[in-house]
Amino acid sequence: MTIIHHPSAATLAAFASGTLDEARAVVVASHLALCPQCQAERARFETVGGALLDAAPSAVMNEGAMERTLQRALATPDRAAPASTRPNAESRLPAPLEHYTLGNWRRIGGAVEFRAVDVPSDEAVRVFMLRAAPGTRLPRHRHTGTEWTCVFEGAFRHDLGRFGPGDFDEADESHEHNPVVEDGPSCICLVALEGSIKLQSLLGRLVQPFIRI
Amino acid sequence: MRGEMKASEGGDALAANPAAEAAQWVVAVAQRGDRVAFACLFDFYAPRLKSMLMRMGVSGEIAEDIAQDTLLAVWRKAALYDPERAAASAWIYAIARNLRIDRLRRDQRAKLFAIYETLETQDEPERPDGSLDTAQDEARVRTALSALPEEQVRVVQLSFFEGRAHGDIAKLLDLPLGTVKSRIRLAMNRLRDLLGEMT
Repeated sequence: MTIIHHPSAATLAAFASGTLDEARAVVVASHLALCPQCQAERARFETVGGALLDAAPSAVMNEGAMERTLQRALATPDRAAPASTRPNAESRLPAPLEHYTLGNWRRIGGAVEFRAVDVPSDEAVRVFMLRAAPGTRLPRHRHTGTEWTCVFEGAFRHDLGRFGPGDFDEADESHEHNPVVEDGPSCICLVALEGSIKLQSLLGRLVQPFIRI
Repeated sequence: MRGEMKASEGGDALAANPAAEAAQWVVAVAQRGDRVAFACLFDFYAPRLKSMLMRMGVSGEIAEDIAQDTLLAVWRKAALYDPERAAASAWIYAIARNLRIDRLRRDQRAKLFAIYETLETQDEPERPDGSLDTAQDEARVRTALSALPEEQVRVVQLSFFEGRAHGDIAKLLDLPLGTVKSRIRLAMNRLRDLLGEMT
């Protein structure tokens, strides 16, 4: 898998410090699971976080905090962390997606299918998968918020290049897209779409009935 | 940031670079349940974790809990720490991040903490031949941070590591929003270049 398009440094730094909202973080994590280069960069930003931690001022801890923590450590045997449920552990999807419940594929018009991903979101960001047949052409559209995409299979092209398996498309409202799905396998991707859906966005109009923003 | 670092040093030579000692402390906890080493880790990291969390907007009480729980997890997971793979500070930072996300989640369906664990248990890619080891990585990160102008370190810290909105940062630093945005962009590009030289 040759990955060409990666998340920005800002996005990887925010992911490493745990300040991205869950919806966007899932798409970034899916890319990371496919991209050793960005995994290494994430680790480097954690090293930055560690260096900032080393340099942080000291707050006053409660009286006896260390002793109490040591007592807790000695009192309870090591517990294995409870295994979190993985509804899709058998799937071929990137590991981070295994934690979420997926809806059924539903045709939403033309040759495009939609599948909800049950990611809770504090902000108005929704996560879903799309599957589009080769040759599908989406009319030119503008984003009303960010639209982050990680491609799993197949490929699409728009004016910023070709996006194949593993590629990450970090689109914001300044981009104007005219994506076309390449010949070959259907294009399957994971999308985190921000904002209340505006009717001028075709993608938004297509998915609106399914995500009820 | 560096101004604050000086303030927190208070003559404590460890504050300059506790990285080497911290890794040894974690290993001592793993190998022999070394309580003195644990006390050293606690004394250095718990107060810093607490202040870092409070800067992210976590209440003092919950920050105290998360700081204690982080050190408890350090004790329990010490055997999983690999000094070849990560600086101790980065490892502890990541544990605290995961505990914060878990503790502060409002929705029981939230799985973000589990996602971080999934990524961490994935096989790490092999380091290409001739690449730097962890200690050198660590030194390079510190060098990169000190090579950035202080005002840029500050916006990187506020924006990514504290997760503040740009408007919030503008208010805090008393700068126009445009200046904040361009400074963040400049700082990230520079930091990425500096860190990129590590590979």
